[in-house]
Amino acid sequence: MAKVLMKGNEAIGEAAIRAGCKNYFAYPITPQSEVAEYLVKRLPEEGGVFLQGESEVAVGYMIFGAAGAGERVMTTSSSPGISLMSEAISYIAAAQCPAVFVNIVRGGPGLGGILPSQGDYFQATKGGGHGDYHLLVMAPDGVQEAVEMTMQAFTLAEKYRGPVMIMGDGLIGQMMEPVEFPDDLKTEPTNKDDWATSGMDFRKSKKRNLVKSLFLDPTALNDNNLALKAKYEQMKKEEVQFELYNGDTDYQILITSYGTMSRVCRTAIDMLKEEGIEVAMLRPKTLFPFPEKAVFEAACKDSCKAVISIEMSMGQMVEDVERCVKGRRPVEFYGECGGDIPSPEKIIDIIKGLL
Amino acid sequence: MGLDFTGIVVVAGNYGSGKTETAINLAVACRRTGMAVNIADLDLVNPYFRTREARIPLEAMGIQVILPDRQYMFADLPILAPAVADIIRQPSDLTILDAGGDDVGVTVLGALASVLQNRPVRMLQVINAFRPFTGDVAGCIKIKQEIETSAKLNVTGLVSNANLMDETSARHIHQGYDLVKSVADHAQVPLEFITASPGILTESDLAHFSCPVLPIDRKLLFPWKRA
Repeated sequence: MAKVLMKGNEAIGEAAIRAGCKNYFAYPITPQSEVAEYLVKRLPEEGGVFLQGESEVAVGYMIFGAAGAGERVMTTSSSPGISLMSEAISYIAAAQCPAVFVNIVRGGPGLGGILPSQGDYFQATKGGGHGDYHLLVMAPDGVQEAVEMTMQAFTLAEKYRGPVMIMGDGLIGQMMEPVEFPDDLKTEPTNKDDWATSGMDFRKSKKRNLVKSLFLDPTALNDNNLALKAKYEQMKKEEVQFELYNGDTDYQILITSYGTMSRVCRTAIDMLKEEGIEVAMLRPKTLFPFPEKAVFEAACKDSCKAVISIEMSMGQMVEDVERCVKGRRPVEFYGECGGDIPSPEKIIDIIKGLL
Repeated sequence: MGLDFTGIVVVAGNYGSGKTETAINLAVACRRTGMAVNIADLDLVNPYFRTREARIPLEAMGIQVILPDRQYMFADLPILAPAVADIIRQPSDLTILDAGGDDVGVTVLGALASVLQNRPVRMLQVINAFRPFTGDVAGCIKIKQEIETSAKLNVTGLVSNANLMDETSARHIHQGYDLVKSVADHAQVPLEFITASPGILTESDLAHFSCPVLPIDRKLLFPWKRA
């Protein structure tokens, strides 16, 4: 298929269709409402359903229901909406159902504002809902990557039988870029008969499946948590994705940044290079599992004097960066999160201040 | 072939067709010929990348920009500046109304129906052949009808704004031109002009087109682009 010009939000909607998702439930909120506007036109053409819930709380449980029935299902929302869904996300994680959540993050806390932010890093990677669970979280830096990650998200949700999140700041949803769609996702989950409540008539197995998150027996609850923990450990081994930019130079500073912010840092690195100053950037593409080893190794390069995490937040990912650097290099932070995105020139000033 | 626009011109089109870039660049091109130009942001739909973001360079050129109050610049609210009705009542040499996308985006024109009544108004439909839903004649006609119903105005002319942003080549502009020409023939409305970033089209390309070419200088840049 030839390239088309799409907004991130529209492209995420089309990617879900191409991943075989026929169920999309959502409640509108800026800056992600275009996903629903797009899918309300496209899903019926594909025999799918868009249903607007009466609130994000309802949407969360509509997702749980469809996922429990073994259907590919997605919702999209923005920060306060994800807060409302967080209870259901915890239930879905406990009941081990595959589902895709997209958070096109706006400024917070509270109602905040409608401009881009990365202030939901903690919410996405450290819980949000209650209990010992994680989301597998992917953070695209543009529309093309948003497409690829959305399609991957369905496969990963099924592989790990759990919720997967695409976290994009508002600009990822709103900006337009030329995009090309990969081939449609053909795979079907192989183990669905063992867990999905799709009705006995539709399954080969005669096993009685039960979707639940209540485990009153302490041994059973502990076992369920151990099973979840084992999945998260497997993700850490198999699913880490990152990019090291300008990493083959004798860089003096290592930036850690992701999403839209990393695009600005990339320009700053190119401009600094013209001045003879080498800076590298480690861009996590998965926020959970976090590229722990890659951050440590990149920070420990002999030429590297310091690490700085640059975020559209007040300092969230930097905590993971500090954890990974293990005190071997100083870890600095720069962030803005009102909605204005720092310019490449601003980043250059910050970097020069570290030299 | 020059651009010939006076009076009130509404710039409409499907969501993301490049209405705002077209409106801004049309304002700039006409201002450069010495006309008095004002432009109003009627986009109540799109949360980012609106006329309001290009306010400063436009005002520096002497173009009057009508926006909601500063304190509401980033409000997710359907605010229509009261001054919009004033400029329609007393238009400049050229008064451009930058509407929002799709039929929803032009609904606002209904609220201005009483002031628009009995005034000569032209409405342009901007088409980017590389956007979803407007890749063929049927899609463009469907959007045209939806916009006309919602705006209670007829589309009087078409604009091809074919682009894949930085990846646009002459081939894309030709492709868009061909599509919009077919739409124009089908709908019996003129293709008013096409757009192109400077440097993409050669002299022989230009000779091929039966309408003017509006040079597009992108005003709504990504934050990582060098200034």
